[in-house]
Amino acid sequence: MKKFLKWALLVLAVIVVCGFGAFLYFIPPFFITPPEDFGKALADAAPPVTDIADPAQRAIAARGRYLVTTHGCIGCHATNGSQGPDLTKYLAGGALKFQTPHGTFISRNLTPDQETGIGRRTDDEVKRVLRSGTFPDGHVAIGTVMPWPAFSNWTEEDRHAVVVYLRHLKPIAHRIPDPAPGNAVTIPGAIEQDYAGRDYGIK
Amino acid sequence: MTLTKRMRRYACVFVLQTAFVGGLAWLTNIGAGAQPRGKAVYDAHCVECHGASGKGDGPSAAYLIPRPRDFTTGKYKIRSTESGTPPSDEDLIGSVRRGLYGTAMPGWDRLLSDTEIGDVVQYVKSLSPQSGAQPAKPIAIGDGLPSSPASIARGQQAYDKLQCGKCHGTDGRGTGAVATTFEDDWRMPLRAADLTEPWTFHGGATSRDIYLRFRSGMTGTPMPSFADAASEAEMWDLANYVVSLGRKPIWSMDAAEVQQFYTHLDAKAKADPVRRGAQLVDTLGCGLCHSPVDQEKRVLPGMRLAGGMLIRIVPFGDFPTGNLTSDKATGLGDWTNDEIKRVITKGILRDGSRLLPFPMDYGSFSTLTPDDLDAIVAYLRTVPAVSNKVPAASRPFLPVYLWGKFKMLILGSDPPMVFFAGNAGAKGTPR
Repeated sequence: MKKFLKWALLVLAVIVVCGFGAFLYFIPPFFITPPEDFGKALADAAPPVTDIADPAQRAIAARGRYLVTTHGCIGCHATNGSQGPDLTKYLAGGALKFQTPHGTFISRNLTPDQETGIGRRTDDEVKRVLRSGTFPDGHVAIGTVMPWPAFSNWTEEDRHAVVVYLRHLKPIAHRIPDPAPGNAVTIPGAIEQDYAGRDYGIK
Repeated sequence: MTLTKRMRRYACVFVLQTAFVGGLAWLTNIGAGAQPRGKAVYDAHCVECHGASGKGDGPSAAYLIPRPRDFTTGKYKIRSTESGTPPSDEDLIGSVRRGLYGTAMPGWDRLLSDTEIGDVVQYVKSLSPQSGAQPAKPIAIGDGLPSSPASIARGQQAYDKLQCGKCHGTDGRGTGAVATTFEDDWRMPLRAADLTEPWTFHGGATSRDIYLRFRSGMTGTPMPSFADAASEAEMWDLANYVVSLGRKPIWSMDAAEVQQFYTHLDAKAKADPVRRGAQLVDTLGCGLCHSPVDQEKRVLPGMRLAGGMLIRIVPFGDFPTGNLTSDKATGLGDWTNDEIKRVITKGILRDGSRLLPFPMDYGSFSTLTPDDLDAIVAYLRTVPAVSNKVPAASRPFLPVYLWGKFKMLILGSDPPMVFFAGNAGAKGTPR
């Protein structure tokens, strides 16, 4: 009888372990949303521009919205909730952390919040980051972290449209820690590494 | 008792830490004093584009049009000095301070002090062996000619006579231009200036700035000096004419003009999808992952868009980026248009396998309009073939995979994504 129990327990343990392994193997890695709908969800999450009264600004913001969604700003500047990205906090930042030999960078808050976003930045300052990767303190963003060398190829008028759209976003207070030095990449041959999945902003 | 002990320990650590940090700061200060101050400014602000050696080959350089200046040749476009002579210090200081409009070079005016700008200019000059071999010969700029309808009309005649339209188009915006693709002396791509967009003129848009560009030429580019071909008065008339071509920028337009502008932009994109596609591939940053780089993040020579950068996504495996060139065997040459569009918008490869939702951001790309997608495909078809056989993605050993996923999903630890230098593909002979 004891022997039987022992065997039964062993079989049960094996079944549980294998079952858990299979569960881990088959569970979708990041998002429950099927990839096909993923893009649509991202595009729908971008606030519409229909509530802008001035027709010229509305048309320019619409162009900016197209550029912001197609160029995947949300890919890094998302804010994570408890269940993956919280798309209601559009572009409030914090979802991605890059570690490079030159420092650690967390995706910034792009909403026009006065304290924690781009609210106090002038249009020229925002455009300068998009054109030259150069921040108001004079530091130059690493082009493979924030892909400004790509956005530098936007025409000045497209860059203007992006800024008009960013100014139209809902301001969200979400403070992102400043870039930190140290934390060098330790894997041989690697040029940088990043961590996706956790919100690095301070609540 | 324990509290005081702990406090004492903290105090001890604090004192030691302060001493260490202070000592370190002292040591670095000594280093900075021994080096030229300009180098310190350069290393802090200029290396990302112009490279550590000043050859214009920083990590971001390969993606910028025009490319960042190679300081080692001592050639500069924006000068107020006679053709064939180097720029004056004021020219260089002005370019740093103001920035170069229409390029990635920002104005450093309020970001750096005057001393820092002066120091960095001296350092940049020292990077060229030719520096100081020839004196700068400043152009004696007269009073110029005030703009008037008559001057503008004469300027238009000079524009035709000097065949400016060959590159800039009869209307200044490229219409009817004979030459449409340009290279600088370093065989890097360039654009002819659109003369109706004065906010993109690298050296500024006043008649004086424009006069200087004719007069001294833009060294290293196909823009010659017209000092011998045109008279002083003609060059000023021409400058007035170019100023008169300037159109309204979008930030000053009213609703009807904005509408008209975007309609025109769409029509232009439809008429020349390859050009539109090239612009999209540049602005979307496809090359940032789909070009292999060296340890300093410089694109390996001739490997733009040829794929092979290794991206490790823990615990999902190694994903070398695909070859996007038109090579039939290893690139997209054999893919149908629909297959290319499917991988861009849905992340489904030719064999039906799926990509993770990042770093290939097909979710965002799926919001591209059908016209823009067609344009991207049209452009990718024209990218010169580079044979680079990129291996398929590989999964890690099963228990490693399961353990990684366990860590990520149950323990909530962040899954790192690692980018590697080097080419994971097998480069064939160029065709």
